[in-house]
Amino acid sequence: MDTLSRRNFLKLSGAAAVAAAAPMLTMEQIAQAATMRPLPPGTPILIVITLYGGNDGLNTVVPYKDPIYYQARPDISYSQTDLLPLDGELALNGSMTGIKSLWDQNKVAICRGVGYPDPDLSHFTSMAIWQSASPDHHVNSGWLGRWLDTQTRDPMLAISLGSILPPLLAGRTVAGSALPLGGIVVPTGSLALDCQRISAASKQDSTLMASAATSLRNLFDLSSNITPILKEPVPQPLDLPTENGGVAGGNSDLQQQLDVVAKLVTAGSPTRVWSVSLGGFDTHANEKGAQSILLGNVSSSVARFMSQMRASNREKDVVIMVYSEFGRRVKANASQGTDHGTSGPVFVIGDRIKGGFYGDQPSLNNLIGGDQAVTTDFRDIYASLIEGVLKSPADPIINNWKGRTPFFAKV
Amino acid sequence: MDTTRLEISRLFHRFGFGPKPGEFALALKQGVDATRTQLLLLVPPARDVGVSAVVDPVLADLGNFPQPGTPARATFDMAMKAQRQMLTLWWLDRMALVENALTERMTWFWHGHWATSIGKVEYSLPMYLQNQSLRTNALGDFGTQSRTMIMDGALQYWLDGGANTVTAPNENLAREFMELFTLGVDHYLQIDVQSVARGLTGYKVNRSNGNVTFIAKNHDSSTFNILGSPGTYNATQISDLVAARDDCTQFIVDRIWFRFISSDIPRPSSNAINTAFVGRNILKTVRAVATSDAMSDPQNSLVKSPVEWFIGLCRALEITPSKLSKPAQAIDFLNKLGQVPFSPPNVGGWPAGQAWLTAASAQYRLQLAQYLLAHADISTIKAVPSSSRVRAVGDLLGVASWSYRTERALHDVATDPTRILLLAASSPEYIVSA
Repeated sequence: MDTLSRRNFLKLSGAAAVAAAAPMLTMEQIAQAATMRPLPPGTPILIVITLYGGNDGLNTVVPYKDPIYYQARPDISYSQTDLLPLDGELALNGSMTGIKSLWDQNKVAICRGVGYPDPDLSHFTSMAIWQSASPDHHVNSGWLGRWLDTQTRDPMLAISLGSILPPLLAGRTVAGSALPLGGIVVPTGSLALDCQRISAASKQDSTLMASAATSLRNLFDLSSNITPILKEPVPQPLDLPTENGGVAGGNSDLQQQLDVVAKLVTAGSPTRVWSVSLGGFDTHANEKGAQSILLGNVSSSVARFMSQMRASNREKDVVIMVYSEFGRRVKANASQGTDHGTSGPVFVIGDRIKGGFYGDQPSLNNLIGGDQAVTTDFRDIYASLIEGVLKSPADPIINNWKGRTPFFAKV
Repeated sequence: MDTTRLEISRLFHRFGFGPKPGEFALALKQGVDATRTQLLLLVPPARDVGVSAVVDPVLADLGNFPQPGTPARATFDMAMKAQRQMLTLWWLDRMALVENALTERMTWFWHGHWATSIGKVEYSLPMYLQNQSLRTNALGDFGTQSRTMIMDGALQYWLDGGANTVTAPNENLAREFMELFTLGVDHYLQIDVQSVARGLTGYKVNRSNGNVTFIAKNHDSSTFNILGSPGTYNATQISDLVAARDDCTQFIVDRIWFRFISSDIPRPSSNAINTAFVGRNILKTVRAVATSDAMSDPQNSLVKSPVEWFIGLCRALEITPSKLSKPAQAIDFLNKLGQVPFSPPNVGGWPAGQAWLTAASAQYRLQLAQYLLAHADISTIKAVPSSSRVRAVGDLLGVASWSYRTERALHDVATDPTRILLLAASSPEYIVSA
């Protein structure tokens, strides 16, 4: 599971028609439009990390004193010595030293048992619910896309790394932007002018053609803003020791994505929401080694990013959320893996966060059809992030959801 | 909107991969009905002159992975890579050269439906064999297709079927078989997933060649319920039971609607195509879809996926993908656009619609179109006087209609054949099937 968008919730309405009389631009005008509008220091920034495939929460935050854990998965459980204890009951996967270090600095909220009512074990349904924040009925928009709908239109406001837009950034009228690793090469010269002409808004366009035109127009807005920044070197994680490879980090795809985010945040990109992702968590077979490598990537990439933010004086601004569409079955299957499950932990990380556990740990004594109970509704976390990071009212975006998770530190 | 032109354009782009030079103009003369009949003709691939120009790949069974770091492993890795490129180009060539494209188009549809990725399977041979199975069963009886696929080596390996044994079943294949391949989500219960997983125990896959064998001692032969029917089950019996359900009728028609009519607008509850799949005849269903009112409804536009857009250009420009000077580069562009045959992103297949319309993909489409035009013989457009080129390019690419915006832009560059083709190929009217 690398990307996921089989159910296509993306729908731009005819917003492009508003710009019907868009003037023809010259290259000089485009260059002028690239004048940076830096994000004021102190503006909070949300970074969403999606783990595709259903991360096994029980081997991420491990109930290492619970005999049921060991009985349920004898071949793929971790003994205490291989883990990073957080308290007398729970421990992090041994590969997650980076996040453990942030935990020790009181910057990691671990929300336990997170899910939605009546869990659905399908990747697609479950991810659609997580990205749309609508468990009860299907909607054609993502939760952060609906936040974009409430903001002044700006293609720089929410950016996803990779060339396909994840549903969470598709609003009812506006969509976030997609940025492939390596950035964008803007057409130049007469081709640029030609592209401007064929991408001008037209009343004759169908909705999809209007979107195709918009995407080509956005290429110019995005590239003029972003391309010079991408040529800068990656900010150095000054206060981290040099790593010697192994599962701790390496040059993972997630790290590459977060390196680009770090560059752009450092440069003052007027972006409030970043979306990055890592796939491969659908560990039906031979889970232990594979998941530990992936979690090591997540952990070291996050720690590196936070360190880069310290070097750039944005450490107080960024808040990271890490989630997956579901956890996995408590009992292992015959392939040294686990099948699809229900709830799992969500990590919220940053200087603004008051570290600790939130929500009850789902008991292994009290499984529902072999799966863990949901003790925290995911909308509590979303609503808290919309208010606490994006400084916007959550009600219209999460449909008047009242629950909150109090993980912000008192200022 | 010219409905004749719209419908003919849709027939070419949705039930094939776009017209070859001259075909669209001829179809306009012949009319919608004659065009539909011709494009939906079932021509056995062996009798297709376009396909006969494409040589089938010879893919040796490469056996187990040698130890890492050995010379044998280095040779093996090179052979794996070469096979993969050969396989991918072979299929792209078929799509680009085939005359009667319906079978190839439906094979492409089913590949996205039973989405299996070489990313996990790694070996090309089982992927190739699966592709041939999909082609053989592309327009026949769905029950037969389903039976074939549930026992397909590549699919079994992809969804951990080979590791599913009686002592502790693995649910991956069981769940996706019902959710994504036959019934759709919510048309079964978790207990059914567990039961189907039990029935699918005991199959062992030889990963390098896709051979599936049955090991009786690993199979759960007890009696249990699947979807309310008690019995003992093996893979074939499960496939027959599930594929005969009413929910399967609805689900498959929905999937065809999603890929051939609209990925945004749901299938209307009253439509002739709703009952077309009752007998599980795929050709009949596809013909019903192609004949339905939905085909002339302007709201049913569809975004071409990257491969569809690319192959459409190859056909119009008479390009054979494997004969490009650096064919790996074309595959690399498709990869950047997010769609390479045999590498769907997940078991749900590729996305649709808006997901392909990002600024990033706009950039790669432009670059790929430039790359193709550098390799194309554009003498047909050169031969047309520049005053007629806007229309000629529209017919060459099979575009339903140009907006005033695009028509003006094309008109102003019409003296430069390469430039007008590049703009037309990158225009909203060509990226989207109107």
